[in-house]
Amino acid sequence: MRMLTRKILDRAFTAGGYLAVALMTLFLLWVLVPIFVKGAGAYVFVGTVEYRRMMLGEFGRGNEQRVAAEWAEVQRAREPVYEAIAAFERELPALPVARRKELKPAFQAVREGVAVLLGPAPGKPLPALTRMIYGQTRWRQAQDKAANILFEETWDYSGNGSQKVHVPRQPLFEGTALAPVFPLLRKELRSLLRPRLTFYPRFLTDPSIDAHFFGGIGPEVLGTVYLALGAMLIAVPLGIVAAVYFQEYAREGPVLTFLRSCVNTLAGVPSVVFGLFGLAFFINTLHVSPGKSVLAGALTLALLVLPTVIRSSEEAIAAVPRAYKEGALALGAGQWRTVLTVILPAALPGILTGIVISMGRAAGETAPVVFTAAVSVGKWVTPSEVLSQPTPALSWNLYNLCTEHEAVEEIRHVQYGMAATLVLIVLALNLAAILIRARVAKRLKV
Amino acid sequence: MEDAKQKTKTHAEAKGFSVFYRQCEAVKRVDLAIPFGLVTAIIGPSGCGKSTFLRAINRMNDLIPGCHTDGELLFDGQNVYGGDVDTAVLRRRIGMVFQKPNPFPKSIYDNVAYGPRLHGNLSKAELDERVEESLVGAALWEEVKDRLNKNALGLSGGQAQRLCLARALAVRPEMLLMDEPTSALDPKATARIEELIIQLRGRYTIAVVTHNMQQAARVSDMTAFFYEGNLVEFAATDDLFTKPREKQTENYITGRFG
Amino acid sequence: MILSSGEQTRRKLLSLAGRSFLFAVTSAAALAVLAIIFFIARDALPFFRASGVGEFFFSKAWYPAHEPPQFGAAAIFAGSFLVTGAAVVLAVPPGIFAALCMSDILPFKVSQVLKPVIEMLAAIPSVVYGFFALTVVAPFLQDSGRWLPGNIEIVSGVNALTASVILGVMALPTIVSVSEDALQAAGRELREGSYALGATRAETLVNVVIPASMSGICSAVLLGIMRALGETMVVWMASGNAAQIPKPWYNLLQPVRTLTATIAGDMGEADQMTGSAHYHVLFAMGFCLLLFSFVCNLAGEWMVARQRKRLRGG
Repeated sequence: MRMLTRKILDRAFTAGGYLAVALMTLFLLWVLVPIFVKGAGAYVFVGTVEYRRMMLGEFGRGNEQRVAAEWAEVQRAREPVYEAIAAFERELPALPVARRKELKPAFQAVREGVAVLLGPAPGKPLPALTRMIYGQTRWRQAQDKAANILFEETWDYSGNGSQKVHVPRQPLFEGTALAPVFPLLRKELRSLLRPRLTFYPRFLTDPSIDAHFFGGIGPEVLGTVYLALGAMLIAVPLGIVAAVYFQEYAREGPVLTFLRSCVNTLAGVPSVVFGLFGLAFFINTLHVSPGKSVLAGALTLALLVLPTVIRSSEEAIAAVPRAYKEGALALGAGQWRTVLTVILPAALPGILTGIVISMGRAAGETAPVVFTAAVSVGKWVTPSEVLSQPTPALSWNLYNLCTEHEAVEEIRHVQYGMAATLVLIVLALNLAAILIRARVAKRLKV
Repeated sequence: MEDAKQKTKTHAEAKGFSVFYRQCEAVKRVDLAIPFGLVTAIIGPSGCGKSTFLRAINRMNDLIPGCHTDGELLFDGQNVYGGDVDTAVLRRRIGMVFQKPNPFPKSIYDNVAYGPRLHGNLSKAELDERVEESLVGAALWEEVKDRLNKNALGLSGGQAQRLCLARALAVRPEMLLMDEPTSALDPKATARIEELIIQLRGRYTIAVVTHNMQQAARVSDMTAFFYEGNLVEFAATDDLFTKPREKQTENYITGRFG
Repeated sequence: MILSSGEQTRRKLLSLAGRSFLFAVTSAAALAVLAIIFFIARDALPFFRASGVGEFFFSKAWYPAHEPPQFGAAAIFAGSFLVTGAAVVLAVPPGIFAALCMSDILPFKVSQVLKPVIEMLAAIPSVVYGFFALTVVAPFLQDSGRWLPGNIEIVSGVNALTASVILGVMALPTIVSVSEDALQAAGRELREGSYALGATRAETLVNVVIPASMSGICSAVLLGIMRALGETMVVWMASGNAAQIPKPWYNLLQPVRTLTATIAGDMGEADQMTGSAHYHVLFAMGFCLLLFSFVCNLAGEWMVARQRKRLRGG
């Protein structure tokens, strides 16, 4: 009997272990799958004729004649919509006062909705904001906007609590000149917008237009590359020198213990404190730049990744077989020469692993660059400006777009695209590290 | 000795028993009957499969990935590798002492009480009694009775090994397996362990793996010589060391290899 | 020697210079942490000198934009501790179970395959976790209020619980990998000793292996705490940023505000160049964070040292 209880407890314990591992894996999938699936939507999606007009107008891409021909057809298809609106506008003053009062706000909503869906009506002056010059460029969003015209979203307070309900607008306008608009939007939306599967690989390299409503994330990607490369440029030499010192030169003693615990402590400093330090030291004390700059950000990130670089380089150097070193020393090579020609080359793959992982970390960090390098305006930074100019960066702009943007919901695809791109960059770097490590392990085995 | 062997019955018996590590056959179709209540020594050069064979008796090899067996290994007439055998029960009946003393990082008392606590609901008084009895049995009681609550990691190597023996005795096993129990100890501690083995003879069936032939000669009734996974010779200790039947045994005990 | 004495002196000098150079660079890298302490403290001091510590630590009135401003950070400290505590409570049990599973239950090959899963969880940038919290977890949580017993109405999915769950996941890789190392370090002999006495796997792990690697597991938890406490983006995006102590204090469904989020969020409003009181109070918060991380670090190192000493015997 007692044995049975023990067995059951053992099984339960094992099940707990499996459960924890499964939970972890599932969570990873829960994070990655939506980000990659929806992030892919920034690169591949169903675009409308408005998208092709926008690409032609803003980026000068696409076949001008074909777009013009398509546009002419679409305009023909849209004519009944605009005619119905114009007819209703003429009809409105003649309606009885009560009916007019009832219909006017709904009509305005419909008219504005159509402008959002299809772009400004023909003959109207072009709006100032680029996002309003064109109708909906993405089919998915166009469908939502069409639904906004067809249905009125209100709250129903009749039951307990409130509930969102969608009331169709069509019955309201039954018998008026506007009535034909609704079936058109419901059944003919395709001919109004001409959806077509669209590939947009240049999302990665295009600049954004009108606060990320159109275009890509090029300046952000470039900024991230600047920051990550800059950080590594500073951290790698420092880190390798320190690792060589720790492993090959330092003698045990209080000084070494102290330096080591300094490095350990540095690894534990919260990232936002690095940001504060970067602001207080690099910008406000050293004045490396008049304000935020790529340089200040890279310096801050370099400090952040330094402990990782030192540790992984140390491990790699420690893993070099003693025999290599002794062999070189026995041949009469000095310690310097041994380090440079034997130890470092042998440790290189291991060091590289650490560098690649640190680079991923530097690319993904946000808090340290908030006060030292990042701005939300998506402007290209040229290589000559890195010493003095702030830059947009994927991490910071992802934060910015999903919290502080004026139309967070409208540009979800850009946010997902940014998130997916950032994760892809970081995971690709990590994958590279795993591959390097696997090769090293193989080599050491042989 | 010769008629002692004939009178005693078999406690553990291998019948065409093999152990594999993945593809590699570490113990090759061994037939060996370990007699009840006697001390059986298993000798042979390193890597001959003697430890593997010993660890197969209480199925410690189960913990090594890729290890599997073939043939039969009977303990008390029951196949140890049968489907209905519970390793926890089996290992309670067959205690084990390892090459390197491995006391748990707990107090001396808790180390000895570990097994009894797992297997039965003993009262505090019964447990105290069991701990004392086991420590006395392992000849450690006098040395540690005043510091039972001290951490066992503070014991010397020999004391720690005797603690491990006491720990094994505390679950009242029927058989004791010893895997080179003295190889990590100094000569004085070794002598005490050997003394203990002789004292425990009769009460427990003991199988001891050793690479030290003098030790085998001193403590055991029967000796098995393993070479490259094969059981070369199994005989009464006196016979094996004085008039070995096999050439390989002779070479080994006269020190030509190993 | 074959070398002339001049050559020898030159070599010695060169070697000395090289060694000094290495030492100087290493010191510069290591001493950066002292520079961090110094500069954070330097910019935090004006605040403490002007306002003292009483209001900062004990008042809940955080009105930096009022005239005169009030800098009571008690609620913000409470928010940081609440979110971190909840994250650790959520992450430790699965973390340790996962570590046990990888070290003792799963076959070696399978746990090797799982390592990249942990590495990936650790590698995902915090802002992406924050984005995930905002777009996936928060709406999910808001909807799920209906299904909970008592039909709880969750006013906003952006609250302490969302932040804690994500922080827990972010702390998980640290906890798992450090604990797993500690469990591995407990060694095969100890496990065999327990198995040989007829213990089951669960008994072996709970009674012998876990106690033997307790210090390592504790330092894993400490590192997890540090990760959660110092994390900025997730709490900034997903904790709701309301400088209040939830009522009752354990109500995780209310929004809170943390130290890190306050620093990141308010620095934009504070005058970054000349140094207003608001600027300095943020450094004071940074200084407190720094202190916490030191304490955790020291405690962690102390435990690792104790573990080493204990396993050596003594």
